[in-house]
Amino acid sequence: MPAYKFPGGITPPERKDRSNQLPLRNAILPTQVTLPLKQHSGNPAIPCVDIGDAVQVGSLIAERDGMVSANLHASISGTVTQISDNAITIDADGLDHWQVLPSLDWRADNHQTIIDRLDSCGLVGLGGAGFPAYIKAQIADHHRIDTLVVNAAECEPYITADDLALRHYPTEILESAQMVAKLCGARQIVVGIEDNKPEAIHGLKKALSHFQPPDHQQSVGITIKVIETRYPSGGERQLIKKLLNLDVPSGGLPADVGVLCHNPGTLLAALYAVRDGKPLVERIVTLTGDAISKPGNYWVRLGTSVETLLQQVGVANQQLHQVIVGGPMMGTPLPILNTPVIKTTNCLIAATREELPPLPEESPCIRCGACESVCPVQLLPQQLHWYARAENDDTLEKLNLFDCIECGACSYVCPSYIPLVQDYRLAKQRIRIKRIETAKADHAKHRFEFRQARLAREDAEKQARRQARQAQSRQTSDSSKVADSATPVVDLRSLRIAQTAAKAAVRKAEKTLARAAAQDPSQRHDDLETQLATAQENLKAADTRLAEARATMAQQESP
Amino acid sequence: MSMMHASQRTTESFNTMPPTAYLMRWVIVATVPGLGAMTFYFGLGIISNVLLAALFALGAEALVLKLRQRPLRPALRDSSALLTGVLLGASLPPASPWWLIGIGVITAVVVAKQLYGGLGQNPFNPAMVGYALLLISFPTHMTLWSPPQPLISDNLWAQISGILPASTLDALSGATPLDAFKHKGETVLASEFWASQPLPEGALNAWRNVALAWLAGGVLLIAKRIISWHIPVSMLVSMAVLATLFYASDPSHFASPLFHLTTGAAIFGAFFIATDPVSAATSRRGKLIFGAGVGALVMIIRTFGGYPDAVAFAVLLMNLCVPLLDIYTVPRPTGQPKTQQHAKHGDST
Repeated sequence: MPAYKFPGGITPPERKDRSNQLPLRNAILPTQVTLPLKQHSGNPAIPCVDIGDAVQVGSLIAERDGMVSANLHASISGTVTQISDNAITIDADGLDHWQVLPSLDWRADNHQTIIDRLDSCGLVGLGGAGFPAYIKAQIADHHRIDTLVVNAAECEPYITADDLALRHYPTEILESAQMVAKLCGARQIVVGIEDNKPEAIHGLKKALSHFQPPDHQQSVGITIKVIETRYPSGGERQLIKKLLNLDVPSGGLPADVGVLCHNPGTLLAALYAVRDGKPLVERIVTLTGDAISKPGNYWVRLGTSVETLLQQVGVANQQLHQVIVGGPMMGTPLPILNTPVIKTTNCLIAATREELPPLPEESPCIRCGACESVCPVQLLPQQLHWYARAENDDTLEKLNLFDCIECGACSYVCPSYIPLVQDYRLAKQRIRIKRIETAKADHAKHRFEFRQARLAREDAEKQARRQARQAQSRQTSDSSKVADSATPVVDLRSLRIAQTAAKAAVRKAEKTLARAAAQDPSQRHDDLETQLATAQENLKAADTRLAEARATMAQQESP
Repeated sequence: MSMMHASQRTTESFNTMPPTAYLMRWVIVATVPGLGAMTFYFGLGIISNVLLAALFALGAEALVLKLRQRPLRPALRDSSALLTGVLLGASLPPASPWWLIGIGVITAVVVAKQLYGGLGQNPFNPAMVGYALLLISFPTHMTLWSPPQPLISDNLWAQISGILPASTLDALSGATPLDAFKHKGETVLASEFWASQPLPEGALNAWRNVALAWLAGGVLLIAKRIISWHIPVSMLVSMAVLATLFYASDPSHFASPLFHLTTGAAIFGAFFIATDPVSAATSRRGKLIFGAGVGALVMIIRTFGGYPDAVAFAVLLMNLCVPLLDIYTVPRPTGQPKTQQHAKHGDST
């Protein structure tokens, strides 16, 4: 396959050799874990245990809430000691008893069984965003998937969790890739890996030669593609461009160009869930940084406190300047160390001051364009910076602020040390809040309109009933002629126009709702439904008025 | 996960890029070959120009910062004022009087830069604003390009004291090659003009070598990635193309492309003036258009306008176009549809 290029990119110091020298090890079993209910994108899970309950490793302790959410399982055996609004705490009994689900055979069992297993095991993407894996597996329902991309680029400096996973479990990861490819109907699997991981590449190639007999009917072809080390090649869109020369549309998903992306860690966890029935209760975490004496990669139970974990690997507290979760480019500093490792924690950097010094004072932008030349999305970082500071949100949106993947390449090269990404994040947040408020106002308006329509309909019906009563009484009484002069002159034509308009409005509302539902079936469309109901009420009122007018006319013509 | 971490990012602390001051200082370093060659051919007056201009620039910057109640240190240390001084000093005729330099530099730093809000805010190239003002206000002094002369000029003192007796003025003035060719007259054919040996001995040679020295500095800047190649290359190519067109149409009246590129401020302007990031276009496509525009304007003004050189006016005119260029050369972000990108941004302003 030819090599393609994404625009921009940088080559920061890698500093990966601090954590990739030693084999994968197990962290010490924690005596207590705190499991946040929200370790994924979407709604927090809902606890389904009580304080005092005994749990085993893998016991379900919180259920997913809604589509985009994930189940949560106990990561140690012991007793539930605390349930707060956002976390469940378990004290260990030291026995480490497991409760696993029955094993499944992904080649034999049907798709839905496998997808349900991924769902019940609380599988989410372990790369960073934490998107529930079972939804991704169902993507074939809406999109034709051609290629499964295994995102083994791991382009951020310091992090080596995927590297070590690939070195230790290449066969499992490739098998899991086969499984996911089968689930989504992919025709090929492409493993994208940066050339700074020779052992992992070697391991993958070796595994591939054993794993894929040429006559095997069921397996999908796997290509291992080694790409140059260039940040941010691990960005989904950048990797897809690099491997397949496809541009994921703005605001779209890789599935829009027939691609599904998974990182090796997620695939490994998916296989454990299906083959071994193990829910997601542990993950590989890179523990690195100059303040640590025994850096490396560890299997860590979810919910383990960062503080105890760092103590195990010999953190020098007096040298420790800050702890960063994730990589140095996109990660975030931890304000307090007593926080748990969660499903998306791929790396902890315990950095000294010399290692990651504080940023020098910001100086004015000189429009040098360095940021623009490294932007992998070809945005104009410096213009975004000006408009973000000026809070000119309309222009920001026109300059496609929301296409920014926040990779931080622009901030990295800025000679004026302007924290560009921070500006963009603030601006995005501001615009999102504004959008929510607009939506709320719209919603209130629509509800008001619905109420008006309902009142009008009720009014029309009341009127019709009264007319009917009057007509009846006229028929019974002999002095019907007197009432005639009291009957208002009806404008049949304008009523008919009103009815036609109301019909058109209903049709339009139906169409809009149908289109929205087809585009995004997982979302709720309350607001559009209200609009449809409003239109329907209006139509009913118009119908009633017209019918009543016609009745009156008929009466006048034939007294 | 958003729930757990503050929104602060860490990229910043991983930044290893050299700061703004580093970029500015490298540009100053890159002027050394050009200044050296000019000093060699036109005397120590060049050095005194630059030193005086640098002094004035730093003084003016400090004074305005004081008035604006801004911290002095960061602005002075970023070396941008120093660079403006050096570039303007290098553009002036050798041994310009001190007050001329002062007026030019103060205009550049105070009016063109600080009054707009300081570094990064100025729409026009400060050095060229100063130069243009001097050229319009003091045409006599600004055309005092002496013929190539020994290192230490007899008139160095006259410069420093600011008094140039009328007699010396005549002795000093020597037309630049561009100036001479410009004023050769309509009826004089190029061949006759050159045959009459209008320039002092070695003048053309001196100018060519100075241009080569500036080119060396410019190449250094590109090699060090201080500037990108887009503006200098597109400006020189555009000049060369237009010059070739003119020359090919009527060699007896128009100068050759080589003459245009090697005399005057073409090379210096292409690498050191037009590339000022603050006042130039930002996108790669914008830079190409910007450079080409400067080159075309230089050729048009030189050929049809009233000024023999033209780099300052061409750069300032193109500075005017930058906001528009920046709007219409927005690159299409990856993943955005291929149509209507420009219209989309265009109607926002």
